[in-house]
Amino acid sequence: MGGFLLRKAGAALIVVFLSSVVVFVGVRALPGGPAQALGGENRDPDVVKAINHEYGLDKPLPVQYVKWVSHAIRGDLGLDARQLPVAHTIVTRIPITLELAFLSVLLGSLIGVTAGVIASVRRGRAEDHAATTFALVGLSVPHFWLGLMMIILFAVDLHWLPASGYVSFRQDPLGNLEHMLMPAIVLGTGLSAVLMRQTRSSMLTSLNADYVRTARAKGLPERIVVGKHALRNSLITVTTVIGLQLGALISGAVITEQIFVIPGFGRLTLEAINERDYTLLQGVVLVAAAGYVIVNLLVDVVYSLLNPRIRVTGSGP
Amino acid sequence: MTGSLRRLALIAIGVVVVGALSAAVAVAHGAGSAATIKNGGTLTIGLAEEPDALDPTIARTFVGRMVFQTICEKLYDLDSHLNVVPQLAAALPQVSADKLTYTIKLRSGIKFNDGTAFDSAAVKQTLTRYLTFPGSVRKSEISPISSIDTPNATTVVLHLATPYSPLVAQLADRSGMILSPKALASGGTFAQNPVCVGPFMFKDRVAGDHITVVKSPDYYDKSKVHLDSIVFRIMTDPSSRTAALRAGDIQVEDRIQSTDVPTLQKDSSVTVPKAVTIGYQGITLNLGNKNGLLKLPYSTVNTDLAKSQDLRTAFDAALDRTTINKVVFNGLNQPDCYPIAPVSPWYKPTVSGLSCDLHANTSLAKSLVKASGISNPTVNLMLGGTDPVTARLGQVIQSMEAAVGIKVTVSPTEFTTSLNRADAGTFDTYAVGWSGRVDPDGNIYGFVATKGTLNDSGYSNARLDYVLNGARKSLTTKARTTLYRVAMQIIHRQRPLIYLYHPVNYYGVSKKVSGVQIYGDGLIRPQFAGFAS
Repeated sequence: MGGFLLRKAGAALIVVFLSSVVVFVGVRALPGGPAQALGGENRDPDVVKAINHEYGLDKPLPVQYVKWVSHAIRGDLGLDARQLPVAHTIVTRIPITLELAFLSVLLGSLIGVTAGVIASVRRGRAEDHAATTFALVGLSVPHFWLGLMMIILFAVDLHWLPASGYVSFRQDPLGNLEHMLMPAIVLGTGLSAVLMRQTRSSMLTSLNADYVRTARAKGLPERIVVGKHALRNSLITVTTVIGLQLGALISGAVITEQIFVIPGFGRLTLEAINERDYTLLQGVVLVAAAGYVIVNLLVDVVYSLLNPRIRVTGSGP
Repeated sequence: MTGSLRRLALIAIGVVVVGALSAAVAVAHGAGSAATIKNGGTLTIGLAEEPDALDPTIARTFVGRMVFQTICEKLYDLDSHLNVVPQLAAALPQVSADKLTYTIKLRSGIKFNDGTAFDSAAVKQTLTRYLTFPGSVRKSEISPISSIDTPNATTVVLHLATPYSPLVAQLADRSGMILSPKALASGGTFAQNPVCVGPFMFKDRVAGDHITVVKSPDYYDKSKVHLDSIVFRIMTDPSSRTAALRAGDIQVEDRIQSTDVPTLQKDSSVTVPKAVTIGYQGITLNLGNKNGLLKLPYSTVNTDLAKSQDLRTAFDAALDRTTINKVVFNGLNQPDCYPIAPVSPWYKPTVSGLSCDLHANTSLAKSLVKASGISNPTVNLMLGGTDPVTARLGQVIQSMEAAVGIKVTVSPTEFTTSLNRADAGTFDTYAVGWSGRVDPDGNIYGFVATKGTLNDSGYSNARLDYVLNGARKSLTTKARTTLYRVAMQIIHRQRPLIYLYHPVNYYGVSKKVSGVQIYGDGLIRPQFAGFAS
């Protein structure tokens, strides 16, 4: 197990390093530098020169990279265009997106896995068709449209929920949940559809397996057969899907955060790109890359716990 | 009628009359009460963009000025007619006959929001910072100032190297915001904790989310301040902003998108004030920008429009500004042919009476296309944005030009990328605007003077340079207006820019709020607003 983890961690570090190089070069490939974006409509040549000097853009690329990485390793990601510390901004905004992602995963998993189990057990019947239709709709409806419709109905017309914004859980737990409910539903809808399909498919395979036939033959109640034996095996695949979807959820949260005006990490990324805020953009993309790598590492660990064969061989069947 | 019945009738009439009178009084009193502002509460404003650094030295964004309105007063301000009036200064400056010395008397007994005394030394320190700080955006705005004297605590004397008439207008914007010396000396980044003189003071900022300002205990005119605090929320999506206003999450919405205006006008819980701005939107034509902005000398680029003035005139004549306004903007903007807006006090003497046909003249356009000698003229129109409204503008222009024989290809381009291309000179025509400045110099010089820092057109006309430089140095307003009028005629004839309209900004204000002011500069002024009692 230790060797397995060391190998995985080593590979993760290499990926993060390569990501930093790609990020660094990539942001500079964007048309229009920070001078145009930060200068806005006033592009005095002296100001443009000063901005380029402030960002170190008048120095050779390798020099710029070494300076940035040496500071980044110490946790100093520089100041953004607002003269605010990038590291502090990212640290305060990541938890918001993680909370949104967590609530979305929670809602999506509860709905998706439950619907998938029911659909597999009631295969070919009304419940199966209903779940499949729900999956199709959930995958087809665009997030921005669903979000706007929910805002109009629940916030503008009914005044049940706030239209936008964010309140921290520590400040006001109930207010926090009120603000996050609609965004979590919007973001979780697509996930629940994917999980429903995946769970149904995995469950159908498991329910036809020999060990399930044996369990039934032993006289175990059907709920134990389904819940303890079939579902547990199916969760291996479902867990992998959740892990992969989590990364996509975090990046997909951009649209949801924009619609519901949530100061999350996704929206921060969009702002950094639009404003050509190199310092912020580098920090944001580096943290996102590191996040992906860590999540996949965690999925590998969880996978190995669920399936002991992974720990021994270091790979799947 | 019997006596008792008559008495009853009289009583009934009396009751009705008294009742009617009471109702009238109640209504009048109620209307008066609706305008009465109570103290307390937090006003939430949804901003269309995020302010950049909260340091006037390097600040560049339009919305940043809205936040500064509450926390950083200026030497001068604008009134509702866009005339310059004193704010931290006690009066308009005394200007020497040669326009090289400006003597500014300051108000006394004023404190910064950290309790430091406001005096001439603080003004000198701030202006010196604006002139010398690396990357200062204010430097070019007040560069003619060569030295500053402070003969006493309430007098500042500015000495100029050359006459510069726009100076006072510049001091009515960010260049006139005075920073606390104590805050500057603290060593921290000023933008992270800005301190000036203002009815409110900075409390906190969460990047991308909000900026909070709270009532200042040191403000010199506290009785005018009603609110406890103001929260500026960053809400870049216009639909979300409008939804938040209608749901009551915010009380003021910055710049409603044109498609939401009719909906909000029908909403009984909000008012929709509008402001014809001093800015403009138009089309920049690349005439001489071959190698990049300020890579002089400029030389004529090899495009159909650059080669033929007839074709440029035809291009302009094909545009029906009234129809563009109606079709693209639901009739909400103000079509025009010049960069100075009717709301500006400079409009009448400089523009009024000059030739401006808001409707297309297709027969003239067709004859000029023929006269140009260019067969199948082609123009590429770069749009400074990829939103649906800008795309619609491009499509309407394309179809209008097609009617007179000019083929237009449209290139929707992300805004910052379009600025980059414009500066590099890699464009043919560019649909872009300018937020506007009170002084006409701010709307003209930078774009068409040979050494103008925003002259993406690459236009160079020695006569126009002479006129514009003369207007900067002129000693009287009459001389300036005469010169600007000549400048308008040159620009209109040669067309390095074709002006289409002045944006009219629409805002949403909850009826629970009173006292929010919006002038032609487009800035929301909430500092003396409050909730209606």
